Amino acid sequence: MKILVIEDDITTGTYIARGLREEGHVVDLVANGREGLVAATGGGHDVLIVDRMLPQVDGLTLVKTLRGAGNATPVLFLTAMGSVEDRIGGLNAGADDYLVKPFAFGELSARVAALGRRPQAVEKETALHAGDLTLDLLTRRVTREGQVIDLLPREFALLEFLLRRKGRVQTRTMLLEGVWDLSFDPMTNVVETHVSRLRAKVDKPFATELIKTVRGAGYRIDG
Amino acid sequence: MRRLWRSMPLQLALVLVVLFGTVSLLSLGASYAFSRSAFEQSIRDDLAQDIAGFRAAPSARAVALLVQAESEGTDPDRLVLSYVTRTGQIYGNGAVARDDEGFHIISLEAGRAELNGEYLALSTRLHGGRLTIARSRAEIEALRPVFLNILWISLLPTVLIALSGGLFLARCSQRHVEVVRAALDRLTSGDLAARVQTGPRWSDDLLRIGTAVNGMAGAQERSVTALRQVSSDIAHDLKTPVQRVSLQLEALADVVPDGEAAELVAKTRDEVDGISAVFHSLLQLTQVENGALKAQFTPVDLAALCRTMVEVYEPSAALRAQTLVYEGPESLKVSGEKTLLGQMLANLLENALRHTGEGAAINVGLGVTEHGVKLIVADNGPGIPEDERGRVTQRLYRLDRSRNTVGNGLGLSLVEAVARLHGADLLFEDAEPGLRVVLQFSPE
Repeated sequence: MKILVIEDDITTGTYIARGLREEGHVVDLVANGREGLVAATGGGHDVLIVDRMLPQVDGLTLVKTLRGAGNATPVLFLTAMGSVEDRIGGLNAGADDYLVKPFAFGELSARVAALGRRPQAVEKETALHAGDLTLDLLTRRVTREGQVIDLLPREFALLEFLLRRKGRVQTRTMLLEGVWDLSFDPMTNVVETHVSRLRAKVDKPFATELIKTVRGAGYRIDG
Repeated sequence: MRRLWRSMPLQLALVLVVLFGTVSLLSLGASYAFSRSAFEQSIRDDLAQDIAGFRAAPSARAVALLVQAESEGTDPDRLVLSYVTRTGQIYGNGAVARDDEGFHIISLEAGRAELNGEYLALSTRLHGGRLTIARSRAEIEALRPVFLNILWISLLPTVLIALSGGLFLARCSQRHVEVVRAALDRLTSGDLAARVQTGPRWSDDLLRIGTAVNGMAGAQERSVTALRQVSSDIAHDLKTPVQRVSLQLEALADVVPDGEAAELVAKTRDEVDGISAVFHSLLQLTQVENGALKAQFTPVDLAALCRTMVEVYEPSAALRAQTLVYEGPESLKVSGEKTLLGQMLANLLENALRHTGEGAAINVGLGVTEHGVKLIVADNGPGIPEDERGRVTQRLYRLDRSRNTVGNGLGLSLVEAVARLHGADLLFEDAEPGLRVVLQFSPE
């Protein structure tokens, strides 16, 4: 993907750019709002990463201007002000996602990947597959190596969420938002316990592990 | 109504009425006494003149005839003439007798016996007999009802007008005071944009108070805005370096070989995460406390939220053989902010899970009482000592026995702030044993 990073803090900006490049993305990095606006309207980016507080033109105005001009490129806001009001303000301005500083790079990378895929139309599938596992969306049955696996409704939802995003890391907060429709910061490892319950049914009885833990980021199911 | 009676304009009106009444009563009383004594004096003068007229008569016989003639056609209710000769013969239209009870005037007319009423009498010896002339005081007595009438006619309308005027002004000022009070209430609950809307008919002193309140609210709003600017600046300025540290540690973790160094990096990352969690909580707390989020309130299904939260935390509870159940309706809407209510429930559940032992039972209950929606999170753990219950919502406060557990002492502060934002009372009760946290939402 081609990604534009608009971040005035050079250390953070450079680090993000390097990390994203290592993942194979093409990254443009600018340090102020005016240049950012020019670069963004120049177009061709798949995702914009915009810091909320920028010199010259602030992030909120930048996104509003872009949206006003009909530019629909997905935007991920970065902010130091991690409060509900700011989140709502940012999303109202036209941002697609929101990340509060300090964040882990894994979280950013996972969210950027999710944003980049967003415009694709969801295919009408009747079954999801990963390796020798099949999740039938119609009968709501999960089988692996021909064995039926009994899952609770929420375990099924969690597995479906990961399968639909095969190959992409899903962070804990993304799972809380996507599977439970909750956006809060748990202090305990709530998501981990759900994943380990799911693993106990889906992975433990079998030779290979489908649900991978991505250190410092989240979970992923590979095809 | 009771408040109306205690309002200032009405009390002033009452004081004025009492003052005016007293002055009227005093002046009317004085004029009454003065008129009365003037009347009496004129009657005395008349009597003396009457006596003097009879003295001019040359003999007892002449006096008797004169008295007789004079008393013909004279109403004894008004004037009594009486002459008793030396031999005891009575002339005139009445006889004055005296016994232990005082003087009596006996009517000499047919059909009447004693004359009642008050008289002023003058008696003198004349040619061996006794001449008594008595004039009725009825005219003086008639003054009393006249003066009473004057009193009623002048005082009653004054009192009524003053009282109704006072009542009217009191109602006006009560309405205006209510406007000021409502504005102050809104300011207190965090709506810093609230102002007193004064009107053209406001009294000058209330107008001045209203203007002063608006001035104060403006200053408050400016300072809070400035403070918010400062805190978001601080947040930005401090979070950015924390961000750098966090990213650099992440990069470091990728390059250090497994072993002691990697462990140190992992520990340091945990510490940095702790710092940013405290930062995040403090910022969130400040924001919730300023109350502006009320504008974002939407109907939230609290029952669904409780069920989801219980479901999210159930596996964590099961790891320590704890039970976590929800008891309540399928659906129950309240007006609120879903993210904050979720965070509040998360904090309460995490507290319950963390501060109770293995096998503890945790219950989330939801229901509607006559006082409104009631949310309960109860456990059967060690609870909170009674004397500490008031302090656990203070920022960064932690019970002695919890100092070494995870947490930063901001969880319950946020719970309290979120509860207050939603107009709910937060109570800590003894679940005997354990802690029962009660959130009593006020009825809509």
